[in-house]
Amino acid sequence: MTTVADIESYILRTAMGDRAAFSALYDATSAKLFGVCLRVLNNTAEAEDALQDVYVRIWRKADSYAVNGYSPMTWLITIARNLAIDRLRARKAPAKRVEEVFDLAASGPTPEEAAIQSSERAQIDMCLDELEKKHADCVRGAYLDGDTYSDLADRAGVPINTMRTWLRRSLIKLKDCLSR
Amino acid sequence: MSQADDQPQDDISLIGEYALHLLDADSRLAVEQRLRDEPALREMLRDWEEGLVRLADDIAETPAPARVKARIQAKLFTESTQPSRSPFARLSSWRGGTALLAAALTFALYFAPSFLFGPTGPTFVAEIMAEDRAVVVQALFDPVSGEINIERAAGAPADGRVFQLWLIAEGASAPVSLGVLPSSTEALLTVPADLREAMIGGTLAISDEPPGGSPTGAPTGAVVAVGPLVTSS
Repeated sequence: MTTVADIESYILRTAMGDRAAFSALYDATSAKLFGVCLRVLNNTAEAEDALQDVYVRIWRKADSYAVNGYSPMTWLITIARNLAIDRLRARKAPAKRVEEVFDLAASGPTPEEAAIQSSERAQIDMCLDELEKKHADCVRGAYLDGDTYSDLADRAGVPINTMRTWLRRSLIKLKDCLSR
Repeated sequence: MSQADDQPQDDISLIGEYALHLLDADSRLAVEQRLRDEPALREMLRDWEEGLVRLADDIAETPAPARVKARIQAKLFTESTQPSRSPFARLSSWRGGTALLAAALTFALYFAPSFLFGPTGPTFVAEIMAEDRAVVVQALFDPVSGEINIERAAGAPADGRVFQLWLIAEGASAPVSLGVLPSSTEALLTVPADLREAMIGGTLAISDEPPGGSPTGAPTGAVVAVGPLVTSS
């Protein structure tokens, strides 16, 4: 059974160019990250290409992990989700190249602080339950499926600006709840 | 997290939209510029990501096909300079446990094959193929004799090019050439004695190369097919 500490250790050793640790990291985490890519892209071949990009990025950016203060699975899932959504957006329209947030040097918290911050599953569910259901569904759709404002507005049958106003208000409520 | 109260509400929703990937490309770039300059904003983004990530708990783990890992390793580790051909150099760069295991395997293969594998020994197979199956090559490896039987079922190099076979050892080493494939569809190659233990658990790859094979010792052309070497049962 691979623990969070094992995964963190694999990432830190990957940052030092340890190929065996990178291989172990892949074995321990690729099924989850492939699931994330598949969920966003809904296409096996594209998800495989995205997963390849994800681990190439992980290999190249592992040294920025320690300074970002993310818990290990959040860092990995965020990379997978961002690259899968970039690919999804590129499919719809040519996108400008976006800088990766992981390039940024950051004065993050210590791993202990990050561990404390890692919220329980129940918290996000509880906080989404405090929103109107249709707004909570929009947050889930954006996070899990990579929906755009346009997708969300079409589905709800409202103008994009209305959707934007709804969602911004919901996000402020959501963040307030997550911070409690 | 406690700082949320001090943050302007616009930033809270803006960073939430950023985390959800709801911003258009221009707004996204503008946020990234600010993230670079404002540590408090980076902390807010991290809090958002840590808060939202639990939504991914519902996503089922799905094992990716073995070719994806092989492609990643081929992409990352065939672009490196020179493969290390010396088994001693490779061993010293591995971690202790792996080196011990490799040494034990070497010992078992060379000095006690009957103990490890029985009198006939197991064989290993790989289906080395392109994603679209435009190239499919079957390889059968006997670790005791070191022979690889090659059968090319689909695909062929372009005129004036050759296929070259490479070993990407498990997790660790750079690709090492196992030789250029002849133009016939069937071939028999012999793996050098110092590479045989590294074959087990490794991945085979085929690259497109000039006549005579790669001049550099590392693949120079496209990797056209890959496949893991697994126990034949």
